[in-house]
Amino acid sequence: MKLLTCPLNGQRNITEFTYGGEYHPMPDHQQATSREWAEHVFFHDNSAGVVIEWWCHSASSYWFLAERNTISDQILRTFPADEIFNQRIDFAAAPEPEPELKPKANGESQ
Amino acid sequence: MSSTIASSALRRSQLYRRHIEMGAEFITLGDRVVVSHYGSNQEKQQAQHLGLADLSTLPRAGFKGPGTPDWALGLAMELPVQPNRATLQSDGTLVARLSQSELLLASNLDGLSQCIASATEAQLAESVYSLPRSDSHSWLVLCGSQAATTLAKVCGVDLRAHKFANGEIAQTSIAKINGVIVRNDLGETLSYCIFSDSSSVEFLWDSLLDAMAEFEGAAVGAQALRDCR
Repeated sequence: MKLLTCPLNGQRNITEFTYGGEYHPMPDHQQATSREWAEHVFFHDNSAGVVIEWWCHSASSYWFLAERNTISDQILRTFPADEIFNQRIDFAAAPEPEPELKPKANGESQ
Repeated sequence: MSSTIASSALRRSQLYRRHIEMGAEFITLGDRVVVSHYGSNQEKQQAQHLGLADLSTLPRAGFKGPGTPDWALGLAMELPVQPNRATLQSDGTLVARLSQSELLLASNLDGLSQCIASATEAQLAESVYSLPRSDSHSWLVLCGSQAATTLAKVCGVDLRAHKFANGEIAQTSIAKINGVIVRNDLGETLSYCIFSDSSSVEFLWDSLLDAMAEFEGAAVGAQALRDCR
């Protein structure tokens, strides 16, 4: 049985955990293009080497991060998510862009 | 204390039909109905050896959010310093700290809890959220000298008395069911409270009784737990 160390609950059987995907820093929500958002939400790098991943301890619903070597499947360390997410992010709307002049319809006189 | 007709209770345990099949007699504790005893009303000896009781109808509450510890301290609650520790309040309420900012409260064995009543009536502070636990979670008590040996059959965490102190908490898998185990001894009797998802408690109840059979364990009523205190 593989073991994983949960930062809150300690060492547990791997069957108590659920994989939650790769961790990527979130793009600036006011500046990011749709393409960048799609990359962030839907696409994974699938790198060979050391990556940071989300894991959840199912029994306590506790989400945390783990550094794992995807080649050797070795867990290097696990740590609470608040090591990275230590500031509240308010998703305030981006300022309205300046209104553009409407293009004139074809045939409209100058 | 007189016996109670359980079918008239406003709230029944998810294990009600199991209890009826086993010939349970019921009593009212506070305003809740629980099993008093099965067959013999001298179950204390069984509870001291190996017993399983269902307290799912007794009051529980939960609170979560970054403001929870300060809010609870403001209500004169005594909190464990570390997560995954539990402490008993002066009125016998069990306060389990499941993480830095999450609390689970369970009443005493009389079905009364001033602590839960005042917390549920108090206004929630900013960043404190209520987590009602009475419906979402069942509450079983596995007790007796053979309780740790029984749990070793269905749980990967070492819960033996010399490894898992009174008041410690393990949030883990028990017979493949996720649950919270709190060691909460009844007097001199080793005892574990098990809180788990109420929708799968029938499976957990059957699994634990099956695991207990090897050590001559049996279901006991709340009266036996009260006698052990």
